[in-house]
Amino acid sequence: MVAETHPHDIELFEYAEDELAEARRDEIAAHLATCSVCAEQVRQAAAGREALRETMLLELPEGRREEILRNLPEPERSTGKRRGFFSKQLLAGIAALLVVAALTAVLVKTGGNSGMESSAGGSAGAAEATATSGGGVEDAQTAELFASGPAEDVADDLQRKGFKATLQKDRVVVHGATKAQVREALADRGPGDVEVVVKNR
Amino acid sequence: MEDPDALLVARARRGDRWAFEQLVARHQNRLFTLAARTLGSADEAADAVQEAFIRAWLGLPRFRGGSLFSTWLYRIGVNAAHDQRVKRRAEPLDEVREPADPQDSFHVSELSSALQSALNQLDEDYRVAVVLYDVLGCSYTEIAELTEVAEGTVKSRIFRGRSRLAELLGTRTAEE
Repeated sequence: MVAETHPHDIELFEYAEDELAEARRDEIAAHLATCSVCAEQVRQAAAGREALRETMLLELPEGRREEILRNLPEPERSTGKRRGFFSKQLLAGIAALLVVAALTAVLVKTGGNSGMESSAGGSAGAAEATATSGGGVEDAQTAELFASGPAEDVADDLQRKGFKATLQKDRVVVHGATKAQVREALADRGPGDVEVVVKNR
Repeated sequence: MEDPDALLVARARRGDRWAFEQLVARHQNRLFTLAARTLGSADEAADAVQEAFIRAWLGLPRFRGGSLFSTWLYRIGVNAAHDQRVKRRAEPLDEVREPADPQDSFHVSELSSALQSALNQLDEDYRVAVVLYDVLGCSYTEIAELTEVAEGTVKSRIFRGRSRLAELLGTRTAEE
């Protein structure tokens, strides 16, 4: 007779790796003795493990190591470069603030008061930004990027580069910057799974 | 856990190329095995390894030693291999490169084996998990850290990956 509740994969893995406490191990063994479905899964997993463990380490093809070392760029570690970058960031930030101020002025002048107008605001950057939850002109424009993590490192990296970046759950939220600025700052990280939310206010 | 790479990493973080070269020598074959087994192509794997070492070199100032250097490096390697796969999908068919270096019969035979063929059919998450655990001998704690999932998820992926692999190998044997 087949037992009604099958052990989870995690426990079957721990059983196979001999990591379970004795009492639980005996219970699983008893289950396997009566449940052909689970017994077959464990047998298959053991066969898969054997096949994998017979494989050998592969060697990096000849000449590739030299190519890697030859192509290592100069590290960006000098403080001079960082200061230069910060100045660039500062200028870009001021420019972004001016654009936001100009847009706000236009909206106020034309009596604009709807979220629709806010989200449709026609600057070049709006094409890549998406409006937040449909409020009025007070809402910040937001955009998303994805960078290779972990998220703590992404936040730390952005803070060091002068951004107001905070870690919120598993994502990084950046205030007072544009998507282009943040993308440039994260260029060396490459794409990944960490969500970076950019709010231009 | 004490990191066996700590001294070299500390020097490399200060821009010492010699120290980084030693780290490359230590990890190049394991990183290549990881990339080759998950991509199924020696040539693409070598590109991914090169990209991973460049990203690691540039990213070293951000590495704080919160994990082993090897764990951090393998995470970069997994990401680089993933990017290679995405790039391959985006290339028109006539631009896809021939697999591996034709002169390198060792890699050609290894990567055209029945096992590799079965690995290629596994879901990426399962493939990465079984290669890291069963081929490279990483702990599931390390794998959880570098793939950013819970340990239970890693155990489940290894278990299912092994089962599916055996199933695929069995199917292939039966067909032959």
